[in-house]
This record gives sequence, C-alpha cells and structure tokens, in this order.
Amino acid sequence: MRSETGFDPALLDRFPTQDERPEGEEEQLKRIWCAPRGWEYLTVVNNNYVGIYYLGTAFLFFLLAGMLGLLMRVQLAAPLMDVLPQATYNQVFTMHGTVMMFLFAVPMVEAAGVLLLPQMLAARDLPFPRLSAYAFWAYAVGGLAFFGSLFIGLAPDGGWFMYPPLTSKAYSPGINTDFWLLGIGFIEISAIAGAIEIIVGVLRHRAPGMSLDKMPIFAWAMLVFAVMIVIAFPSVILATLLLEIERAFNWPFFDATRGGDPVLWQHLFWFFGHPEVYIIFLPAAGMMSMIIPTVARAELVGYRLIVLAMVATGFISFGVWAHHMFATGLPPMTAGFFSAASMAVSLPAGIQVFSWIATFAVGKPRFNTPGLFAMGSVVIFVTGGLTGVMVALVPFDWQAHDTYFIVAHLHYVLIGGMVFPLFAAMYYWIPMVSRRALSERWGKWVFGLMFGGMNVAFMPMHLSGLMGMPRRVYTYLPGSGWDMLNLISTLGAFMLAAGVLLFLVDMARNFRLAPDDGEAGNVFGAGTLEWLPTALYSTRSIPVVKSREPLWDDPKISDDVEQGRYFLPRSATGRRETIVTSPLLAEPQYLQIMPGPSVWPFAAALFTAGFFLALTVQAYLFAAVSGVLGVLAVLRWLADTDLPVPEKDVDIGAGIRVPTYATGPQTHGWWAMIILVIVMGMIFAMALFGLAFLWGNQPSFWTPPPPMTCALPIATGYLAIIAAAWGTRVLHRVGKSWAVLPVLVAAALAPVLLWVDIGDWMAVTTPQSGGQGAAVFGLFSLQGTVAGIGVLMAAYLCWRKLRGVIVDRASNTLDLACLFVAYTGAQGLVGTLFARAIGA
Amino acid sequence: MRTWAILLGGLLVWTVHFFGLYAVAEIAPSRIATVLLTLACLAADGWLLALALRLGRADAFAAWRRSVALGGVALSLVAVCWQALPPWFSG
Repeated sequence: MRSETGFDPALLDRFPTQDERPEGEEEQLKRIWCAPRGWEYLTVVNNNYVGIYYLGTAFLFFLLAGMLGLLMRVQLAAPLMDVLPQATYNQVFTMHGTVMMFLFAVPMVEAAGVLLLPQMLAARDLPFPRLSAYAFWAYAVGGLAFFGSLFIGLAPDGGWFMYPPLTSKAYSPGINTDFWLLGIGFIEISAIAGAIEIIVGVLRHRAPGMSLDKMPIFAWAMLVFAVMIVIAFPSVILATLLLEIERAFNWPFFDATRGGDPVLWQHLFWFFGHPEVYIIFLPAAGMMSMIIPTVARAELVGYRLIVLAMVATGFISFGVWAHHMFATGLPPMTAGFFSAASMAVSLPAGIQVFSWIATFAVGKPRFNTPGLFAMGSVVIFVTGGLTGVMVALVPFDWQAHDTYFIVAHLHYVLIGGMVFPLFAAMYYWIPMVSRRALSERWGKWVFGLMFGGMNVAFMPMHLSGLMGMPRRVYTYLPGSGWDMLNLISTLGAFMLAAGVLLFLVDMARNFRLAPDDGEAGNVFGAGTLEWLPTALYSTRSIPVVKSREPLWDDPKISDDVEQGRYFLPRSATGRRETIVTSPLLAEPQYLQIMPGPSVWPFAAALFTAGFFLALTVQAYLFAAVSGVLGVLAVLRWLADTDLPVPEKDVDIGAGIRVPTYATGPQTHGWWAMIILVIVMGMIFAMALFGLAFLWGNQPSFWTPPPPMTCALPIATGYLAIIAAAWGTRVLHRVGKSWAVLPVLVAAALAPVLLWVDIGDWMAVTTPQSGGQGAAVFGLFSLQGTVAGIGVLMAAYLCWRKLRGVIVDRASNTLDLACLFVAYTGAQGLVGTLFARAIGA
Repeated sequence: MRTWAILLGGLLVWTVHFFGLYAVAEIAPSRIATVLLTLACLAADGWLLALALRLGRADAFAAWRRSVALGGVALSLVAVCWQALPPWFSG
C-alpha cells in the first residue's frame, strides 16, 4: 500500500528513540494537563473526567429506571394489586423504557467511548473536548429535569414510542407528552454531538501506524455506532419536532382526519428505533471482543469477519424498521421484504457470537468476573436473538404483537446484548481508572444473582405473553392463568436487583478514582494500548503501533512510552495538543492545538436546557432569553478556538516535523462540519419522505402546488448562494481582504428567498389546513432554522475578521462557515423544487 | 474514498437493492420489477467481486482490505438473493 499522505513510513523505524529525554518534559505535560480544583470541576474538559461524569450519570439513570421496573413488577406480582394507580403506572412504564433507552443505554456506551477511546488510540484526548463537555452537561441537566417530571405527576405517559393519536393534543392535553418530545429531542442533540466527536476521533486521532487493520475492535464498534447515530437519530429529532409543532400550533402531520397520518410517526420513530437496538448492541459487542481475548488468553478469532459483521449490522439494521409495524397492515410485499431483512440481520450478529465462542474454545479461558459476564451475555443474547427470528415472521408477530412475549424478547436482547457486556466491561476496565480492582469473590455473586434473576424474571414472560397477557396493563384479573408466572417474574426482578445492589456495595468498598496516577493497572494482562501507564495527558509519549495487541507483542513498549521514546514526549507548543493522523494508515499529518478547560460549554448546556424546559412549561419569554444566552455562550466558547500559534511547524519526535495549523478537507474541523451537514441533510431528507408519504397515503387532501416556473428565480437565488459561499473561500485564498462579504450577503439572501417561497405557498394552502400544508411548512421551518444558523455563522465570521484573527490566507472558521452556507443554499434548492414536484 | 468504496461496496449494493425493493413494493408492486432490480444488483456484486479478486495483497493492510471487501461482496450476494424471495411467497 502506497503512503496515504506522502509520509515516509521508514521514519517510524526511528522509534523508540534511544537518547535520554531532557528533564522537565513530564512536569510540563502535568502542568498543562493539570487536575481541576474546586469549582473547576464544572469547567473540566479532559476525557478522563468527562468520561467518568458521563458513566456515573448514565449508571444513575440505570438505577433510577431499574427502580421503576421494580415498582412495575410489584404492581404486577399478583392480580388486582393496588400499589400504583393506573395513571401513575402509565407514567412509570413510559419513563422506565424512555430512561433506559435514551438516558442510560446510548449515553452509557457513548461515555465508554469518551473514556476509553483516547487511551486505546493513544491520543491525548478526543478532537473536540469542549463539545464532549457540552454534550455531557446538556445530557445531565436535561436528563435530570426530564426525570424530575415524574415527581410532580407530569411525566409522559404514552409509552416509550409515543404513538399518536394517543399522544396528540386531543387525547393527551397535558404537558406530559411535551416533556417527552422536547426533553428527548434535546437529549438526542447531545448524542449527535458525541457521535461527531467519536467519528472524527477514531478516524483522525489514532496513534501513528495504527492503520484500520490494526485498530482495536472497540474503536471499530464505536465508529459504526457513531455513524449509525448520525443516520438514525435525525429521524427521531424530526418526529419529535413535528409532533410538538402539531400539538403547539395545530399543524396536522399525524391527524388522519385532516390529511396527516399517524403511521408516518411510526415510520419516523422506528427508522430510528430499530437501528437504536444495534446502536446499543454494537459498542457492547466491541467491548466483548476486547474482553474475551484477554479472558481466553488468545487472539480474537476472526478479527476481519467481526469488522465486516459490525459494518454489515450497521447497514442491514436500517432495513428492518417496519418489522415493528407488521400489525399496521403493511402491503404484503413490503412486509415480506422487512421480514426477510429482519432474519438476515441475524447473520452478522451470528458471526460475532461464533467468533467469541471460537476464541473461548481455542484459548485457555479464565472464569473470572468479566469472563463470566461475557459468557452469560452470549447465552442471554442468543436466546433473545432466537425469539427475534421468531417475531421476524409476520404471522407469528401478529400473534405475539403487544404481548409479554415481546417484553421478554426485548429484555433478553438488551440485557444480554448490552447490560451484561457493560458489567463485564466495568469489572474489566475499572482497574484502569481506580486504585483498586473490584472484588472477584463479590463479582461472582453479582454475576450469579444477575444471571439467575434475569432468567427467572424474563423467561416466564415468554409464556405469559403466549398465554395472551398484553403489554402495558397495570393489573389483571385472577384466574387468567398469569398469576404464578407474574409472581415468579417479580421474584426474579428482585433477585436481579439484589445483584446490582451487591455491585454498588462492591463499588463503594473498592472503587477509588485515580484520574492522574496510581491506578490498579493491567490486572488481567490485556494487550491493547489503554493499559499503557497514563496520567491526565494520557500516555507520556504516543507509541508507534505495529500490531493489534502491542502490549503482548512488544513487552518493552510500556517502558519506552513512559520514558518518552515515542511521539510527542513533551508539549511542542506549550499548549494542549495531539497528533492528527490520516484516516486509513494513521500517518502523522499535523499537530492539533486543543482547547483547555472552559466554563462556557457548561453555561451553554445550562441555557440550552433552560430553553427547552421553558418551552415545555410554556414560559416563552424565559425560553427566548435562555436561547439567546445559550447562543452567546457557544460563541464565547468558540472565540478561544481556531487561533494559529506562532510556531508554523514543530518537531513531534525523532526529528519529524509537522505543521501546527491546517485547513481544508483534510482537517478534523472540516470532517466534523461534513458530519453535521449529513445530520442536517438526514433531518431534511426524512421531512421530504414525510411529504411524499402523506401525498401517497392521503391524496384526497392534496391541492395542486404553485407552478414550478415560479420557483425558477428562487432556485437561481439558491444556486447563487452556493456559488458565493464557494467563491468566498477562493477569494480568501488569493488574499482578498474583503472576501467575507460574499458569504455574508449569501447568508442574508437565504431568508429572503424563503420568505418569497412562503408567499407563493400561502396563496395555495396554510400549515393548519391539512397534512400537505403542514408538511410543506414543516420543510420551510427546517429551512428557516438552517438559514438562521447560516446568518449567525456568517456574522460570527465577520466579527472574527473585524477582531483581526482571520489574517492568514487559510482559515478554518472561514472554510466551515462557507461550507454551511453552501449547504443552506443546497437544502433550499432541493426543498423548493421537491415541494412543488409532489402532487403537481 | 477509494478504500472506503472497496470496503463498503458489497453492502452499498445491498442497500440499493433493499430500498429499491421497498420503493417497488410501495409505489408499484411488481414481481418482474423486483427480478430486474435483483439481477442488476447481482451483476453489480459480480463486478465488485471481480474487482476485489484483482486487489493486491502486498502488505498487511492491502490483504486485510481485500479480504473485508470479498467478505462484504459475499454477504451481499447472499443477502440480495435472500431479499429477493418474498415476492414469490407473499400474495
């Protein structure tokens, strides 16, 4: 394979260097990456801290949602129990599902990525530490406020998938549903921020030499996971937005009597909802593929196949969403395709399971706690997978739909596919961050109680479901034959909870956070880079990677890294920094200067949460103030970034020099903006699908759109915006000092064109008049949002220009603003033509 | 981009096939259309297979890329054939 960037791979042979390092280098690193004190814990951005905050908060939500599950089991332990009133029970089961899926599962694996990835890739940190901090605080503040709604009787009560018409204003007039719609929409923004961080981090922050074929399997899993979030989550963001607009402004997207369609919600929700299962499963599978080789003391069998299986799972999981909708009356051919895809997805999942079994078989497995949890996970997950193939069959699904059989199936899949691997991971990686490992003796009890409890709780649900017990009922009559099964399930749930309780006691006894130094270390004898000695700056020097298990293949690597014999043994510029490498072969490209601690991500998250919460309780003035303050906080945080340093290039070790500033498509900032544009594009694409869907299903409500010829001037205007944004970049590169003006004018033109387009449509329909009007004006709302952001970015660019920080002929801020404004033009162009083409 | 296209080619063909079938089923259900689409996708898979077989194995990364590409195409061939069956069993 030729070099990817022109870098000479022979230069890597200079490492490890043999010279003694000058004194004071390590002290300098410690000073730059120092630990926070007092209130600085709110401003910290290092992954070591943010990852722990994230994990702790996500685990807290696991415990809270688990308690809700126990409450439900107490209520169902016997017929006609009166522990929870019916309305409260509805809130409890809605919150149990919602919190487990949105506030525990996804954030937990994202948190594991934030904590583990920089160590595994031997980077100093992930590329956008402040974005990580923002994502965490937004999630924590928003999540706690959302959970708090339960204590004032305002928690959502429409089920975790919130189907309209039950959740429409007519049937859910209170603000309970709004809490879900605005709360979850907001928290998903945080998940997307985390996904951007992970994609760019995995592809651009790997240690030199760590080509894709040497990447830890967990990093592969996190990469696929994050890409899936980028594709899937926009759908639920759009869905929550549309339902909230319907409730607030009476735009009938989902009202079948007025040209909307409640099935559209199901499509949008499940296009997110089913990939969500794999979004949760894949990182957990990645953890398993890291843990099992260590436990089995053997190389992972089928690394290539597992990578392929993970990527294939990512693809195929987007072809299964409608299997949740078999009971809605899909056309037979459509149902057949989704049934086939639902069975096909078991193929890549099976590849992974067989690889794990084979690794156990060829190695000498130790039956320690991580090993037990890993083996237990395989058993439980396979059981859930088998019932998954059963419900992929349409006739069986019709019988089992909305019964406890489905409850059993989904708990087997999620507990086996995520919770058990997570416990294996906690036992496995806690020595990496704690002074003491957890107790092996207690761990085996924890495993026994959890494994036994899980099966006792959920296995009987298969039977109660097949005997006809529906989901979401708050009680049942005696004599239905469900009594004993429910009692057993309740006992099992408490057994499971006892295991978790024991784990908490073990944590209290042994977990002592050591973010700086003094952690228990590599107690299981693993071979990957996260087990190198680390401090707050990650590893002392960044090693050259020559294999998948460097610690097994090079016994001296830990010492050499610690002695500073690899890349970046010091801070080359006196600032926080890390090496950006090429995406395929991980060749060093440039030095990224990283931002340090800041209160602004915290403030921005607080105000963003305030904005959404105020909207929920209809305090519109407070929402407006919070929104403005949130935007100002983001701008203030950005003001410290993208500032070139005096040194144009620096020595990053062994005489290898790289630039300290880079612009254009190879930079991490450009990659992040492209991913953001994909997110915006996905939201918009799903909105276009919504318009086409309503046209296909409710043609009798359709009125002819304005003529296409009227759109030509508007379309020309959007093309001009794209050209101006591109031209600005070119002009700036040739040194024109006024180059920011075209993009400013272009950004200002976008709202004007939108206004003209709205005028054309107002002559034909209104947003309240029917599904068509709602969908078209929904597109306009999205375009208005994007145009507004474009104006803000262009204004920010001008402000930086006036401040004199855009002086070079290359500027990332300018590049990224131009990219976004060009996207604004492209989205406007597609939207205006598509809306007129549908039903013309 | 070339390496990503090589790695993901087979799975992209499956994606085009699946969403094509979905469009056919929703807009104008027709067994003939599903057969034509399936043949086109199998041909694309065949072409990708031929390309992947010609890829070099000079170093570890190239060999890894080749084997993942071949695996992706093989998976796609199975999945496309499997995905084409439902029209012959549904009403």
